[in-house]
Amino acid sequence: VKENELKTTSLDRKLQEKLLLARRVEGDRLQLADAVLVAALDGSRPLTAVERAALEASPLTVRRLRHLAIERRAARGASNDAGWVGSAGMLRAADSGGGPDQLTTDDGCWSLHFVGRDGDWRVILQLAAGAPFAPRLMQEQPLLRVVDGHGAVVLQGRLDADGECEAAWPFASAPAVHFQQAGAAFAVAPLRP
Amino acid sequence: MRLPGTRYQEHGWEQVRKLLGQCSLQAFARIDPAPLLEPGAAPGTLPAYVDLAAEALHAAGRSARAAAPGNSYGDSVLELALTLVYELQARPGEWLAFCSALAAEHGRLGAFWHKPGGEALLRKKFNDMYAVLRDQVDSDNYQAACGRPCSANRMYAYRMLDTAYGEIARLFAGWREHAAQVGAILGRPIEAEPIEARQLRSISDCRPEWVLRWSESLERFGGSAGPLHTRSKRFASLKGNAGKIGAMLREIGEYEQLSANRDQDWLLDAGEATLWLDDYWRVLGESMEAATPGPDQILEQIEEELDRADTHERDEPARECENTDAAQAEAGLAQAVSLPPRFLELARAAQDAGSWTAHVLAGDSLPVRLAVYLKLLGAADDSYPADWLDPATGALPTMQQLAALDQMSLPTLRKRRDAALSRLAAAPRP
Repeated sequence: VKENELKTTSLDRKLQEKLLLARRVEGDRLQLADAVLVAALDGSRPLTAVERAALEASPLTVRRLRHLAIERRAARGASNDAGWVGSAGMLRAADSGGGPDQLTTDDGCWSLHFVGRDGDWRVILQLAAGAPFAPRLMQEQPLLRVVDGHGAVVLQGRLDADGECEAAWPFASAPAVHFQQAGAAFAVAPLRP
Repeated sequence: MRLPGTRYQEHGWEQVRKLLGQCSLQAFARIDPAPLLEPGAAPGTLPAYVDLAAEALHAAGRSARAAAPGNSYGDSVLELALTLVYELQARPGEWLAFCSALAAEHGRLGAFWHKPGGEALLRKKFNDMYAVLRDQVDSDNYQAACGRPCSANRMYAYRMLDTAYGEIARLFAGWREHAAQVGAILGRPIEAEPIEARQLRSISDCRPEWVLRWSESLERFGGSAGPLHTRSKRFASLKGNAGKIGAMLREIGEYEQLSANRDQDWLLDAGEATLWLDDYWRVLGESMEAATPGPDQILEQIEEELDRADTHERDEPARECENTDAAQAEAGLAQAVSLPPRFLELARAAQDAGSWTAHVLAGDSLPVRLAVYLKLLGAADDSYPADWLDPATGALPTMQQLAALDQMSLPTLRKRRDAALSRLAAAPRP
């Protein structure tokens, strides 16, 4: 990671969301009809300048947009397995002792393996063959990214024919130590084009 | 009662109200009451109240009352109470209304909170404030969830109708003992079990004319005047309007049925929860790049009488005002910090210097930054590095601890924190 390159961590995003959602305006009301918001979300009719200003000035309308955006994503996810937008996992309490040589996402679809020894670790991402979205991912080979609990990139790449992706461990500290310091969590997600 | 998006309309509210009352009294005991009574100084007292009440709530967090579920969506009483306290901060008008009610009572009785029974009176003032606030919050929640306009007064009207249905159902079930009243509701003398009593299974089956007649006859049957028959203007637009009452009863019934099959609205993974931000910024970006030329489609303000009939007084938005309460500052500083000696150093090392927040807040001290997180995300969040947490509590340091760490008074820390928040809100995204 370059020194002066700004990145957005998951903590940043939470904060940004809170900033948008916690705002209140006296006498606020819905400024845009659902049809206008849905068309803007679809990209079929961008907002006019005045509508954009009205949206930005009305926290309540932003919250309505949030609701519609989440509904839209949920509908897309339900319609096909292409809706996989990521899987997350946590370090288990039992992992804290000797250190994990394997971590699994909560949905059981991905595991992270660690091989090697001090100073020379490698990390392998493995897709479970039974994952509902496995056939599509194997076919489409999207660029995948694994991040730790603080949003730092652990691994980035495409799956090979065995459904695996291997890379050098990018951090100074050993995997167990690193994950404990980085929120005890990790997530796998496709990188958006 | 459940309606789309609402969180504060079920039986659990009783416990939320009690917890808020209890913790508000604790907060009040630690505030100098004098500025609350002066119209000029009252707005500046809100941040201190919010912080102290939130602290008292966290301290009560392990109690059975706080941990109990406050609604059927899985929100605990504590979570609901905390959300409402933070909401108050964004709606200073409610706090000013509370302060002026306090001042009025003080004018009559003096420092009544020290007198016998005064605590109950003070608690009632807090209860009144939160009663209005919960309906405001839920009417906003409702609008965000279903896209239809709503107001606090309309929310109150929904609840009044829900209560009326409950009463009518109770009377119908005991029609033998309440034959005369049931007769008045049905509009005919009752001799045998009325078929309506068997047919009334949910609020959707409740006829609006029953509600009107129940309200009309309530005073005759030993109660006070019915809610649709008082002098208050609150429900004036519903008086005699069976069509509108019927529509509202049906809406409650339909949603009750719908939500019974789907207890949680969305369970979002941590990674998914903020994806809508991308949609929001894309919508703004696309409009910036190629705005539709028009015409603008801004919604007209559709406000029915029911929404206007808000009996609540709204004041001007509060202005930030200087708060240099030296006593409070000293109290804050005097509290032992009791953090590990290297806390600042480790916490500084643990923050992600390349992150957007760290960049925008680069000019602020670490305690000010932690105060920002404390305010926006709460004392405990999965995303916090371990070195930010007080080992004694497993949570971020309190505002008092942070103020002491930064060698400034609590009010100053609050001011710097709020300034940092404004900068964040105005900062461009990366």
